[in-house]
Amino acid sequence: MNREEVTKSYLEGKDIASHHIESFNDFLDKGLQKVIDEHGTIETDIEEDEIENYEIKLGEIRVGKPIVREADGSTSELYPTEARLRNLTYSAPLELEMIPIRNGNEEKAEWVEIGILPIMLRSKYCNLNDLDREELIRNGEDPKDPGGYFIINGSERVLVTLEDLAPNRIMVEYNDRYGDQIEVAKTFSKREGYRALIIVERGRDGLLEVSFPGLSGRINFITLMRALGLESDKEISDSVSDDTEIMKYMFENLEEAEVESQEEAIEKIGNRVAAGQAKEYRNQRANYVLEHYLLPHLGNDEEDRILKAHYLGRMAESCFELALGRREEGDKDHYSNKKLKLSGDLMEDLFRVSFNRLTKDVKYQLERANTRNRELSVKTSVRPDVLSQRLQSAMATGEWVGGRTGVAQLLDRTDHMASLAHLRRVVSPLSRSQPHFEARDLHPTHWGRICPSETPEGPNCGLVKNYAMAVELTKGVEDSQEIEETLYKFGVNNIERV
Amino acid sequence: MSQPLKKISSINFGILSPEEIREMSVTKIITPDTYDDDGYPIEMGLMDRRLGVIDPGLECKTCGGRPGECPGHFGRIELAAPVVHVGYAREIRKILRATCKECGKLQLTEDEKEKYLEEIQKRIDIGEDPEDVAREVFKEARKKDECIYCGTTKNDIKFEKPTTFKEDGEKLTATDVREWLANIPDKDVRVFGMDPENARPEWLVLEVLPVPPVTIRPSITLESGQRSEDDLTHKLVDILRINQRFQENRDAGAPQLVIEDLWELIQYHVTTFLDNKVSGIPPARHRSGRTLKTLAQRLKGKEGRFRNNLSGKRVNFSARTVISPDPNISINEVGVPRQMAKELTIPLEVTERNIEKARKLVKRGPENHPGANYVERTDGRKQKVTEENCEEIAQKIEEGWHIDRHLKDGDVVLFNRQPSLHRMSIMAHEVKVMPYKTFRLNLCVCPPYNADFDGDEMNLHVLQGEEARAEAEVLMKVQTQLLSPRFGAPIIGGIHDHISGSYLLTRKKTKLEKSEAIELLRKAEIKELPEPTEEESGQKYWSGKKIFSQVIPEDINLTYRGETCKSCETCDEEECENEAYVKIRNGELKTGVIDEKAFGAFSGEILNEIVREYDKSKAINFLNRVTRMSISAITKFGFSIGIDDEDLPKEAENQIERVVENAEEEVDRLIETYERGELEPIPGRSLDETLEMKIMQRLGNARDKAGNIASQHLDPDNAGVIMAVSGARGSMLNLTQMTASVGQQSVRGERINRGFEDRTLTSFEKDDLSADARGFVYSSYKDGLSPTEFFMHAMGGREGLVDTAVRTAQSGYMQRRLINALQDLKVGKDGKVRNTSGEIVQFDFGEDGIDPTKSNRGEAVDLDRIIEDIKEDEE
Repeated sequence: MNREEVTKSYLEGKDIASHHIESFNDFLDKGLQKVIDEHGTIETDIEEDEIENYEIKLGEIRVGKPIVREADGSTSELYPTEARLRNLTYSAPLELEMIPIRNGNEEKAEWVEIGILPIMLRSKYCNLNDLDREELIRNGEDPKDPGGYFIINGSERVLVTLEDLAPNRIMVEYNDRYGDQIEVAKTFSKREGYRALIIVERGRDGLLEVSFPGLSGRINFITLMRALGLESDKEISDSVSDDTEIMKYMFENLEEAEVESQEEAIEKIGNRVAAGQAKEYRNQRANYVLEHYLLPHLGNDEEDRILKAHYLGRMAESCFELALGRREEGDKDHYSNKKLKLSGDLMEDLFRVSFNRLTKDVKYQLERANTRNRELSVKTSVRPDVLSQRLQSAMATGEWVGGRTGVAQLLDRTDHMASLAHLRRVVSPLSRSQPHFEARDLHPTHWGRICPSETPEGPNCGLVKNYAMAVELTKGVEDSQEIEETLYKFGVNNIERV
Repeated sequence: MSQPLKKISSINFGILSPEEIREMSVTKIITPDTYDDDGYPIEMGLMDRRLGVIDPGLECKTCGGRPGECPGHFGRIELAAPVVHVGYAREIRKILRATCKECGKLQLTEDEKEKYLEEIQKRIDIGEDPEDVAREVFKEARKKDECIYCGTTKNDIKFEKPTTFKEDGEKLTATDVREWLANIPDKDVRVFGMDPENARPEWLVLEVLPVPPVTIRPSITLESGQRSEDDLTHKLVDILRINQRFQENRDAGAPQLVIEDLWELIQYHVTTFLDNKVSGIPPARHRSGRTLKTLAQRLKGKEGRFRNNLSGKRVNFSARTVISPDPNISINEVGVPRQMAKELTIPLEVTERNIEKARKLVKRGPENHPGANYVERTDGRKQKVTEENCEEIAQKIEEGWHIDRHLKDGDVVLFNRQPSLHRMSIMAHEVKVMPYKTFRLNLCVCPPYNADFDGDEMNLHVLQGEEARAEAEVLMKVQTQLLSPRFGAPIIGGIHDHISGSYLLTRKKTKLEKSEAIELLRKAEIKELPEPTEEESGQKYWSGKKIFSQVIPEDINLTYRGETCKSCETCDEEECENEAYVKIRNGELKTGVIDEKAFGAFSGEILNEIVREYDKSKAINFLNRVTRMSISAITKFGFSIGIDDEDLPKEAENQIERVVENAEEEVDRLIETYERGELEPIPGRSLDETLEMKIMQRLGNARDKAGNIASQHLDPDNAGVIMAVSGARGSMLNLTQMTASVGQQSVRGERINRGFEDRTLTSFEKDDLSADARGFVYSSYKDGLSPTEFFMHAMGGREGLVDTAVRTAQSGYMQRRLINALQDLKVGKDGKVRNTSGEIVQFDFGEDGIDPTKSNRGEAVDLDRIIEDIKEDEE
C-alpha cells in the first residue's frame, strides 16, 4: 500500500486545525442561537399602573464580520495582522433581535448590538476566508497558517481542547466505605452547562442508596423510585432486572422499604430537603428537587420522572451485576468514556454564562429606568460592554467560567511545528500534583487518536496529550429523533410515558 | 537609635493582657484618617509619628530615630466592645464547655484537680508536653450535666465558625464570654494547663487591639504622587470606622438590633484583620476585588514570612551560569568566566605588606581583570572605582583601607548544584579565570553534583571572610569529599571515556611504541620512561599495563576482582581470561585490566586505597593523572560506535529467531493447558496469576537466551561491548535490546492487559493471551518495531516517564520533612547525639559510633584487609 498517497490526501483534505474551526463554526451556527433560545425571554419585575408586565422576547442572533471601531467611532474591516500589530481584538459585533412585550402585547422587534465576539481565524466569519494566496500575503498573512486561534488584545490565544469524562453514562466501580468495599454506579448527568453527579450505591447490607445534588447525604433507592412514580414492588423490580439473582437482591431492598406510596415518598424527601417548613412547601420543594437535580439530562418536567426511575433501575442493575461479578469495573481512561471539549463547546459555556450576566444587567437597567420614570427602551438598556468584557477577559487570562484556568493559552510560536502541536493539544482536567498513575498511562484506546510519543516530561506527563496525525473527531448528533426511531425499528420498546 | 546590649536568659510565651497592650502602646489611635492635607501624619491617627516613621526626613516621636533606624512602636485601639480573637476561638470553646457559667469553676472535684496538677508538674519536670493532660481534663470536665459546685444546669455550648458561641440556641456576646472566662479561679486555670500569670483565659477575648507599627505596614507612593496604603492599614481603618460608629450609636441610645449588627461588624473586621482566610465568613476585599493580605497571610505557607524569608534567603556575591566540561583543569578547580570574575569581589584589607599590590589592583580599575571595584576608607565611606578615578584613588590608598578586588586564580569559592541533596552538592573549588561565558568543571566531579551538560546551570558563591575561606578550604574542598558519607567509598571518580580509555590501555594486547608511550606519560606529567617490556625485531615496546603503572603510587599493594569478573565457580586468578583479577604489587599493575572498579565514581578500589593509605591530595593527583592519561589513550586508539556495531552474523540471527519461536510455542502451550484447565496453580496464587507468572518467566528467559547468543557473537572489541564490560556506560541488556530482541514491556510490573474489551489492541483477537498481544517485543531496536510493538513499547516507556516525574516531586517533599525533623541533631564530644534541648537521641552516633565516611563500605572493620596485611608481613 502506498501510504504516502494516503497521508497526502488526508493532509490535503483536512486542515491541521480544522477541528477547532469546525467546532467554532458549529458554535456560530447553532451554539449561539441555542443559548439564546434556552433563555427565551428576559422577564422583569416591573409592576405599575400602566405596565403590569414587561418582558423581552429574544429572537434571532446575528454575527457580523470582524471590524475595528476607532476612537472617532468609525468602523472598518479588520484583518488579523492589523489586530496583532495594533494590539486589537479580532472580533465581530453580535446583534440580537429583541421583541419587547408590554402587558402581553408584542411591540416592534429591534436589532440590538449586545456585544462583540472574538472570531477564530479562518472560521466562517473570518475576513481571511475567501482570500487566495496572493491576497493573503498582501494582507500580511502567512498562507500556510492554519488558523484555529483567536487574537485578543493583539496576542494569539488558543483554546486548548479539554478532555473530560463523557456525561450521561453509567460507570460502575468499587468504593471504600469505612474499610468495606461497596459497589457504586455513577452518572454525570449534564444539561445545558449544569452537571449533576448521581450515585447509586449498594452498601454492605445490600441496601441500595442514591445520592444526588440538592439532597444532602443519601436516600433510600426504593423511596426514590416510589417518589418518581413506580409505586408497586413489581414495577420497581421490573425496572431493575428480571434476572433471578438480581431479583433476590431486590426483594431484600423491597422488604426494607421505608414508604409504600408515592405520596409518602415525596413527603419523606420533603422532610429531607426542606426540614422544618410548612408541609405544602416541603412537597413543592421535593418535587422541584426531583425534577431539576435528579438526572437532569432526561428532562426537567413531571412526565420525565418515569424515565428517571427506569434510568435509576438500570444503574441499580449495573451495581448488582458488579456485585455478582458479571461486570467489570468501568475503565475511566477508556477513550470511549471521554468527551473532548473543543473551542466551540468552550465558547458556548463562556457565552452562556456571559449572556446570563447580560440579561441580568438588562433586567436591572430596565427596572431602574422604570423607577426613575424614564421611557422604557430596549436599546438603551443593553450595555454591550457587559458581555464583551466578560468574553474578552476570560479569553485574555484563560480563566474560564467554572474556575478552570489555563483554558486560553498564548499560541506557541517557537516554530511552525510548535504552533501546530499547540493547536492539536488535549489537556486533562486532573490535578497535576497528585500521582494519578492510571490516568497518565498510554491507554490502548489512544491508538490512532492520541500520539503515543508526544507528551511533556515532568508533572504534566501523560495529562497533556496531542492528537495523532490522522485523528478525526466526531461531533455529537443534533437530531436524536432519528436514532430513537431506528432503535424502535430494531425492536427497542418505548417506556410508556404516564 | 542605639540600645544597650542585653543577654537573653529565657523566653516566655503568653497572651497579651489588655494592660500589657496598653503599657506597650505609645498612643491610643482614634481617627481613621492617616495624613492631613499637607501630607503629614495625623496625631492619634494610624500613621501617628509616635508609631515610627517611614517617610525620609521625619523623625520618630518616640525614640527620635530616622526611617531605617527606628524599629517602630505599637499603638492601640480601645475597642468599644470586646470581640473574640479568631485564633483562640477553639480554646475558648473548650474552656466554656469545661466550666460553670455561674461560678466559673472547672467541673472536676478538688481531688481530681490535685491529681491533674501533679501530673502536669511531672510532665514539665521531665521536659514533656503537658498538652494531653489538658486534653483529658477538658474531656472529663465536659461530661457533667450540672455544676458540681453550685448546681447550675450546664447547657451545651455550640460553636459556629469562626467566632460565634451559642448556649442552648442563645447567642453569647463577647462580653458574656469574657465575663464567664474572667470568673474562672486561677487555680482551675492551672489545671487545664494554662499559666494564669501569663495567660488568663479572659485575655482570649480582645478588649484592646494592638496596632502594629507603621514600619510593618508601610505605604507606598505611586508615580502619580498618590499614596497607596498597606492592606493592614486598610483593615485598621475599617476597624476604627466601625468602632467609632458603634460608640456613637451606643451613646445615642440606638436600638439593640443596630448595636448588635455593628458589634458583629467589628467582630468581622477584627477577625479578618487577624486572618482573612478563615472559613465561614467571606474574605475582606480591596476596592478592586482583590482579597486583602492580612496578618495570618503574611506568615503562613510557602510565600509566608517563615518559609520564604526566614528559612530561605537571597545572597550577594553569587553567580549562576551554564556549566560545561573541561578535562584539562584540576578536579579542585572551577573555571569562572572573566566577566564574572570582574563582577565578583573579595574584600582585601590594606596593610603595610600588601599596600603596593592593592595600589596596583586599584590602578587597573574595574574593567581590567585583576582589578578592583570599590575602596572603603578608614572612616567607613565607600567609593566606587571607575576608569576615570582609578589612578587618583590608587595614589590615595593608605593602610587600614579595604578594597574590593576582583576574583582571581586560586581564590576559594563555593560551587553548588541544585537540588542540594547531600553535602557533596556544595563543595569548595579554586577559581580559574577563563574566557567565554560558562562555568567549567572537571568531569570527575559530575557524579557528586549529579551534573551533566545538557543545559545544567550551577551557582557559585564567593567567600568574603578569612575564617570562611579557611573553613571552606579545610572542610569543603573537593579533595576532602572524595569518600562519601553515604557508603564509605569514593563518590568522585572517572566516568565514561575515562573508563573506556584505561580499559583499552591496560588490556593484555595493548603495546605501545616509544613515541606513544612518551605521549601518554607526558599527559600524566611523568618525566621518566620506564624500561620497555618487549622487544621485537629491534623495536622496543611498552605494555599498556606498564605505562599505567607509572601513575600508581609506588608502594600500593592491592588485589581485587574487576568489573569484567564473571563470578566463575573456580577463579583462575592470574590466568583469568577476562583479565578480571587485578593484582597490584608495589605500584605495579601485574595482572588484570583497569575498569570502572578501579577508579570509577561510586566504586574506585585503587582510589579508595590511595585515599586511605596516603592522603587526599595524593588521591586527587592520581585521579587527575589517570583521567588525563586515559583520555589521551582513547583519543589515540580511537573509539566510536555505529549502526553496524549491532550487526549479528546470519547464524546468530537464526539462533535468536529459534529461541524466540520456542518461547512463543511454550507460551502457547501454557495457554492451552490453562484453557484445558490443567494448569497447576503455584501455592498462594490464583490460576490466572500462575499463568501470568509462568509466561513472564518464559519470555524473560527467552530474552536472556537471545541476549547470550548475541553477546557470544559480538566481537569483544566491539565498542558497545567494551563500554558495557568495562562499566563505562550501558549494559549487556542494552546491547541485547539493540541487537536481539527488546523483550517484554510491562506496566506496573504486569504484562500489558488494559485496553479494549477483553483485549489490548484491536489488532488482536479477543482473549488473546499470547506474547505479542500482551506487549512482547520480538524485534530489536536495530531491526525496528512493528506498529503494535511500537505502541506497547510507548506504553511501557510512558510508565517510566510518569514514575520519574512523580518520584522527584515526592522525594523532594520527603527530604524537606526529614531535614525539618533532623536539622538540630548534633553529635557531642562524647559521641552521643542530642537535640537542641540537650535530650539524648542516640547514645552512640548511628548506634555503633562509626563515621561512615571512614568505614570500609559501611563496615566498621575491614577484616579481609587486616588478614591480607598480616599475611604479607609474614611473607
